[in-house]
Amino acid sequence: MNEPVEGQRVESRPSAEQLPAVFAGFYDEHSRVIYYLTLRYLGDPQKAEDATHDVFLKAFQRFDQFRGEASVRSWLYRIAINHCQNLCQSWHNRNIFANSDDAVWENSAARTDSPLRVLETKELGQRIQKALNELSDEYRLLLLLVADQEMSYDEIGAVVGQSTDAVRGKLHRARKSFAAHFDKSK
Amino acid sequence: MKQQSKLTAKQEQTVEPQLQAKAGHEFQNSDELLRFDAEQTVVPPEIAARLERSVQKIAPKKSSGWFARIFGGNNL
Repeated sequence: MNEPVEGQRVESRPSAEQLPAVFAGFYDEHSRVIYYLTLRYLGDPQKAEDATHDVFLKAFQRFDQFRGEASVRSWLYRIAINHCQNLCQSWHNRNIFANSDDAVWENSAARTDSPLRVLETKELGQRIQKALNELSDEYRLLLLLVADQEMSYDEIGAVVGQSTDAVRGKLHRARKSFAAHFDKSK
Repeated sequence: MKQQSKLTAKQEQTVEPQLQAKAGHEFQNSDELLRFDAEQTVVPPEIAARLERSVQKIAPKKSSGWFARIFGGNNL
């Protein structure tokens, strides 16, 4: 595990020589949550792979713009959300999710120990994706952010540009809606 | 502050309906289900390799070999 960053914040700006090591530490620490957000937001493993690559490349290019006022994770989430929203706008459709067939999902990596486990995890992932796809972009995004245990309501609010109370209220409705759609997907 | 918000989140989750999945797992709420899903998700290793190549294109002197050195993968 690389630890060029202490906690979630950059205490001091790294030099040009230090930047690669610092950035590799960011990737090591945050790539899972960014990949998961892009995977479930976009609904397509290949597009999530591309998006995760693009998000971290943007972060590398823009590192001099990172002021350290928010956590690195919040900063990366903002880049990821903007990137995903731009992608969705440029695609001009929501039908992209309906085209995610089994062949695509079979290429999605899952941490599993046995064939049965593979089947179970894939099926569960498909049900989750179907339920998420039924939600508005806003609800889907809030649920994915709150699934990250390191993100408080305050931080989520800062990332999506809403008050903590608004986040709390919308999350309550998003959870209920997700649960209803998830149960329907049995 | 952060802990307080999380405590509130947990309290709110208790009123959410339980979610049952066919796989035999039972989840108390949607947050727990999505956290489980996130934990099962593995980042494709190809992304790190692509990222290193991309970074080398824009900053060859700064980045040469650093991803491979840091992550220790021969294929990175």
